[in-house]
Amino acid sequence: MPIPPPSTPAAGSVTCRIGARGVSRSFGSVRANIDVSLTVRQASVHAIVGENGAGKSTLMRMLYGLDIPDTGAILVDDDEVTFSGPRDAIARGIGLVQQELAIIPELTLLENLVLGAEPRAGLVWNRKQALLSATELATTVGVEIDWNLSAAHASIALQQQVEILRLLYRGANVLILDEPTAVLAPAQAAELLRLLLSLRDAGRTVIFISHKLDEVIEIADDITILRSGRTVSSFRRGEIDRAGLTELIIGDRAPDERDDADRPAIGEAVLIVDGLSASDDRGIPRLSEVGFRLHRGEIVGVAAVAGNGQEELAEALLGVRAASAGSIRLDGTEIRRATVRERRRLGVRYVSADRKREGLGVDLSLVDNAIASSGLSQLGRAGWLSRAAVGARTRAVLERAAVRFGTAKDPASSLSGGNQQRVVIGRETIDEPRVLIASQPTRGVDVRGIGYIHELLRQARDDGAAILLFSEELDELHALADRIVVLCQGRVAGTLPGDAPRTRVGSLMLGESATTTKEEGR
Amino acid sequence: MTELRTASVDASPASRAGTASARILTAVQAAGLPIAIALLVGGIVLAVTGNNPFVIYGMLVRESFGDINRIDATLAAATPLLFTGVAAAFAYRAGVFTVGVEGSFVLGGLTAAVVGSSVGGLPPVLAVVLTLVAATAAGGLAAVIPALLRARWAVDEVVTTLMFNFIVIGVASWSVQSFFQQRGQANSATAYVAPAAELPPLNPPNQANVGLIIAIVVVVGYAIWMRRSVLGFEFRAVGSAPRFSLAQGLRVRLVVFVAIVGAGLIGGLGGGAHALGIVHRYTSGFSASFGFTGIAIALLARFNPIGIVVGAILFGALNSAGSTVQLFVNIPIQLIDILQGTVMVFAVASFAIPRFMKRARRGAGRDDA
Repeated sequence: MPIPPPSTPAAGSVTCRIGARGVSRSFGSVRANIDVSLTVRQASVHAIVGENGAGKSTLMRMLYGLDIPDTGAILVDDDEVTFSGPRDAIARGIGLVQQELAIIPELTLLENLVLGAEPRAGLVWNRKQALLSATELATTVGVEIDWNLSAAHASIALQQQVEILRLLYRGANVLILDEPTAVLAPAQAAELLRLLLSLRDAGRTVIFISHKLDEVIEIADDITILRSGRTVSSFRRGEIDRAGLTELIIGDRAPDERDDADRPAIGEAVLIVDGLSASDDRGIPRLSEVGFRLHRGEIVGVAAVAGNGQEELAEALLGVRAASAGSIRLDGTEIRRATVRERRRLGVRYVSADRKREGLGVDLSLVDNAIASSGLSQLGRAGWLSRAAVGARTRAVLERAAVRFGTAKDPASSLSGGNQQRVVIGRETIDEPRVLIASQPTRGVDVRGIGYIHELLRQARDDGAAILLFSEELDELHALADRIVVLCQGRVAGTLPGDAPRTRVGSLMLGESATTTKEEGR
Repeated sequence: MTELRTASVDASPASRAGTASARILTAVQAAGLPIAIALLVGGIVLAVTGNNPFVIYGMLVRESFGDINRIDATLAAATPLLFTGVAAAFAYRAGVFTVGVEGSFVLGGLTAAVVGSSVGGLPPVLAVVLTLVAATAAGGLAAVIPALLRARWAVDEVVTTLMFNFIVIGVASWSVQSFFQQRGQANSATAYVAPAAELPPLNPPNQANVGLIIAIVVVVGYAIWMRRSVLGFEFRAVGSAPRFSLAQGLRVRLVVFVAIVGAGLIGGLGGGAHALGIVHRYTSGFSASFGFTGIAIALLARFNPIGIVVGAILFGALNSAGSTVQLFVNIPIQLIDILQGTVMVFAVASFAIPRFMKRARRGAGRDDA
């Protein structure tokens, strides 16, 4: 199959190749998009920026027909359209590259490229013809690809290029990319950005989401900023600088009231982390030489844009991820090579960001969820559980966090998200933890639930726990943290007091040099 | 902190009853559907071969449960399946899919035959206990290497245990021919076990024997251990939520190791009981794929102990009635195999497909910001 000719009207005749007019979309009580408007010009690179949860992905999904607006309209070539699915979007020349690539590892890159639209030769596919088209396509956009390579052996960057080419092969001339550079090393990212520019120069339209403001300023012709589900504003190239963008992305909301009256004084250092490095599942280094101290009765917040090493840090501290270098000392004991079980026995507790798989056993009963811990054998004797001890522990956990439930034999999946999280926090704080690693403890929890979970964390702090709080919500960090450690690209970008202005935290998160702001940790 | 506590609100009774009845419904669906489909397929085969399915099915029921002797034969046929069913369920509860019970059953049987033929001088109870302990240990031994490979290096247990079946069964045949063959026997078989080591029948001269009692004890032990022991709890947690179990500091590796070895121990005990109770020696073809039928029973029962008993009796009935029904009518001998095979296929499918769908959905539906 040859490359289909571009199906666009002549350039210039259309002002809005793709866009949105007054689009709103809610999921339950969460308003993901509120009256969002977007105009993407033909043959431009358009960047969408905003905090986590600002509504970027929801908007992209609607542009691609994966979701439908509640009100407002999606625009294609200045016309209002109603997509009933991605098929309709593809028919209008729109393609989406998601963060998780749709590459089949068992196939070669060539097979991945043509899969579903193979050139045929009788009953079998025409490999020669496919290779010809593939090579031609790669040449036109200026990349070199070994098409016979098995996809499993291809780097993420290469897989991503194949996925982009696949969209072109299918005739797409509007490409939507959801944080394409988040998974790439800097050199690979630069190559991708060059590819995007050459696509634009060839008359194609590119929309991309990014948290990296440098690359946005470098290549975007237009920038649209979303905040809390609304369009803040749009700018042409050169109309706004980095500082201006940061301010618009973060906004200037006042921090929540902090209620720290008559809390116990912060005590001795409990956890001392030094030079800690770790890699993600693919072996890409995500955490390098992170160090900080955590004291008794203190909450230290960790702020970072998603994918900047906070997950790896939390997992390395718990012990489910091996650290490649550095030291973790808990009350003076080196625990970097200790198992999860050993660390937990020393008083480490964990609230996972992945509640449904790591925080709870959703198919297990509330009893099972309440008692599952390394100290399980204490609820009985000689390897057998005591009914009375199990019942008492279950009641204690559920009451501590005021969980609303039917019977304790119900599976955890029968509870609402907020109540599930209460079970987790109740369990993890029941036996006076030394260190509590709380990762996104209020994700997916409604406003009332959030306040309650914050109270539980303060309570644990006042009871003497040293708490490390990972959160994507700056408001949450402001409300709880005594200090905020900001991570950027796996390094500590700086440490700020808990009541530092949002813009200070935000600009460190977004990669501003920290040399002028670094404060000494206690 | 007190002002934070609110009284826990009970869910409405209706919704609670809903979940309970829904659970029973899924269980019945899970077990009933494969059986119903198998009966349908078998019926079609019968009809095609010119038999009246209802007449033949009626005959099968009569031949398996018609009188005390037929029930005895069914229970005798169910006994090895009880062992292998529990053995499989034991490992599957921990999310470990061993298929090595067959090999453990065979090695347990051979060990029991060899040990049992040389304990004639001991008092009966001691002779039996000693022989069964040896058989159990042999069954566990056959599973140790796959267990280590899985627990230490995460080597896929389905592959290793399947391969070990071939190794174990091959080694068993070879050692019978080389060391234990009874002179004067045409095919490879060991000597008969000493009378003191035989498991006595419950209702002579029928075949059901004390092995059935041992099997029931094992089933009950399995049920209690899973619910009440610390390690049993960890089995259920690891099987249901592996990442959660790891993050909670449960003994995941120990669970995986014990799951595979434990299935081997139970399988070995089953082989020993089969050798001492029914066959009284070891011959080639000692196990009529009991280990694999046990897998189907465990999946059909969703690891539930009562379900395992029902499943073992069902398959036992098919085995015992199938062989006698052929004496009376001219039905294809393969019908019983077809029925068993169909139940197995759909039992595995009804277990695997929902898991597969769940994984597919998880892959497709990605949370976004």
